[in-house]
Amino acid sequence: MSDQALSTPAPRLPSIPGVAIMLVALSVGFALASPGFLTGGNISNILVQSVLLLLLALPMTLIIMTEGLDLSMGAVLTLASLVLAIILVTTKSLMLGLAGAVAVGVAFGLLNGWLVSVLAIPPFVATLGTMGAAQGLALIVSDGQSVVGIPRYVRQVYSGDVMGIPTPVLIGAGFYALFHVLLYHTRFGTYICALGGNRDALTLAGVKWRRLLIAVYALGGAMAGVAALLMTARMNAGHPTAAIGMEFDAIAAVALGGTSFEKGNGWIFGTLMGVVTVGILRNGLNLMAVPSSVQVACIGGLVIFALFLDSIRGHKS
Amino acid sequence: MRAVTEMTPRIEPAAPPAEKGTPLLELRGISKTFPGVKALDDVSFAIWPGEVHMLLGENGAGKSSLMKVLCGAYQADAGAYFHKGAPVEIRSPADARRLGIAVIFQEFSLVPYLDIAQNIFLGREFPSRIPGLTDRRRLYREAKAVLDRIGLDVDPRTKVHTLGVAQQQMVEIAKALSQEARILVMDEPTAALSDRETERLFAVMKQLQEKGVAIVYISHRMAEVFALGDRITVLRDGKLVGRAMPGETTPDELVRMMVGRNVDMSYPRRFATEKGEVALEVKGVSAKNGIADINLTVRAGEIVGLCGLVGSGRTEVARAIFGADEVTAGEIRIFGAAQTGGPDAAARIGVGLIPESRKTEGLALIRSVSDNLAVAGLPKMFPNMLFSPGKVRRTAEDIISRLRIATPSARQTVSLLSGGNQQKVVIGKWLAAGTRLFIFDEPTRGIDVGAKSEIFALIDQLVADGAAVLMISSEQAEIVHVCDRAYVMRGKRIVGELSRSELSEENIVRMGMHDE
Repeated sequence: MSDQALSTPAPRLPSIPGVAIMLVALSVGFALASPGFLTGGNISNILVQSVLLLLLALPMTLIIMTEGLDLSMGAVLTLASLVLAIILVTTKSLMLGLAGAVAVGVAFGLLNGWLVSVLAIPPFVATLGTMGAAQGLALIVSDGQSVVGIPRYVRQVYSGDVMGIPTPVLIGAGFYALFHVLLYHTRFGTYICALGGNRDALTLAGVKWRRLLIAVYALGGAMAGVAALLMTARMNAGHPTAAIGMEFDAIAAVALGGTSFEKGNGWIFGTLMGVVTVGILRNGLNLMAVPSSVQVACIGGLVIFALFLDSIRGHKS
Repeated sequence: MRAVTEMTPRIEPAAPPAEKGTPLLELRGISKTFPGVKALDDVSFAIWPGEVHMLLGENGAGKSSLMKVLCGAYQADAGAYFHKGAPVEIRSPADARRLGIAVIFQEFSLVPYLDIAQNIFLGREFPSRIPGLTDRRRLYREAKAVLDRIGLDVDPRTKVHTLGVAQQQMVEIAKALSQEARILVMDEPTAALSDRETERLFAVMKQLQEKGVAIVYISHRMAEVFALGDRITVLRDGKLVGRAMPGETTPDELVRMMVGRNVDMSYPRRFATEKGEVALEVKGVSAKNGIADINLTVRAGEIVGLCGLVGSGRTEVARAIFGADEVTAGEIRIFGAAQTGGPDAAARIGVGLIPESRKTEGLALIRSVSDNLAVAGLPKMFPNMLFSPGKVRRTAEDIISRLRIATPSARQTVSLLSGGNQQKVVIGKWLAAGTRLFIFDEPTRGIDVGAKSEIFALIDQLVADGAAVLMISSEQAEIVHVCDRAYVMRGKRIVGELSRSELSEENIVRMGMHDE
């Protein structure tokens, strides 16, 4: 059992991942159940609503590929969106606001990365701690109140379009392309896979992996900052509990997409499908007037079911 | 058990050593201390271009530490390095690489979900014309070239986790070769390779030697030491205990140096004279794991060998008997009772598997000796599910003294024991379960020479006490010296049976070899 002939090519069974099956099954199911589902307007809606989650799920994929986790993402997003809102209200400058939000995200990302890589605190614990810290800071800076009075033009980021394509979809597509190139066409991407797969291999190859690990978490924070702009533009306000639990959706989308929590086995296109699947589920359930609390339970069930599909198929092959 | 019998050289001797001159690399007075252990103590070591320098020593003798010092993974506490006579420093793997040192590690330094090409060039990716990106086309082209050189006919885009152990080892070798190393360090490179792959590796080594590459080669196989080596260094307990040229020494002398005492390698076995009851009967068994039409019998008081090349289906037979893999045809009877259930059922009727991967399948490494000894016997010791720590401790202490397991106490963590003592714990856990049929898969893998004969003495004691043993081993000399009978496998089938009088390495090899 421990060896193969030298020339045996590795088996490459064409297999459709569980997430793709879920995606199609849900689309068909909702299309049959609710006539409003399969309209151009609604599909565009699903895509627009999925972008926020995509912006978090992309870096979450990389973090999970390093055998890590970032539970603080939702709270950091909340804090960043409040900082953004406050800067917008006081200076009216979108650029300053975005810079502030990204700076907050990167600061927390660096902290997460430092805790995980230098202090070697397990990611679950480290980011659980920073999640609490970010959430607490969000309540302090906002004094528990919504931040209103954001310039009207900011809405354009969420509701505008370029040649008929909604701006958020363009933003999402741009970042998806960026992460795809990052993961598959740069050294950084190769090293991310190795961070989760075999850190000793990196050390022996002379790669200073601790810095890389910090960079991965910092990237996650930066993306939370970018997502803060989209979220603020959507709500036209900053709210101290706006993004609570977003990390759950992001981790769920990544898991749904087939990225493993072990050995650096990740798939960025799977994450995209996972995000869209979550988006379809939420949208379809909305159309059917299912309360959002039940929706969260449905997402949880979906993740377990998709992973179950993958595992039974994995045993067969 | 005599190791010398496996020393028939299979390969032509390598070219004679190059003219003595300045060594390519010289280490002088290297010492390295870890808390509580002196891993290396004033070791000096030199390699000349075009030479294969054999590094010998038992597990824990300091070979791996010396290798890690050599490649910059460890920093020596004391000592000096000289490259072509000039003093140099090796403070990191990058420093070592600049000096042209490449290492093939025994524990793989591969990343499972990267492909072969990405693994070969990890840390040395080719930049693309577009800044920041990597040149993937060149990556696969160069990887293909390296793979062709070592004769590995696999797509460089194949993810490493889908490869078998032997192929992964070949990728490791490709990785080291691609660095155009001047000094190549190999840690038991043939341990996982088949004969054909081994030949291929030796051919590549010869090419490299001709180009003036110096090779440091760690091996436990005496045949390789004498066939490949130009120079031999023996380490023991972190100290250099001997240097020799292959023409001027003998395997026995080297073994004496390694163990530092005259170990009686020819442990006398009392071979079975009368046949006991049938302990295991396998009739026409085929299983999902690929084995077909397996017939074999093991009686109480017998050690029966199961040999053949790696991959011939030996482990699969053991797994099918133990109920770990699904049987599709035929019948397995253990002490007369049909075995149709899983490992739990097998364990209940008295079968114990001592697996090949001791650390992952045989032991819970982070738990105590006592916990490990008790785990298989829990159902027997506590039929009412009520646990008694005192009883566990008494059982554990009894087994520790019976098997002479060297441990400070029953509470010691198993990972801190030596390989031989860990293996005793795996055997002991089945004793506690009342096992009467033991299946050993490579019982001496990763165990010191000295401890090997102790393990065999233990196995002999088991059968003398009426147990039955089925023993899988790749070391043909072990089978020949220990077994009452042996079955030979080839291509997932049993192709022959050898009685005690027919048992010889030549017969095993002849039967087990592929017809080509």
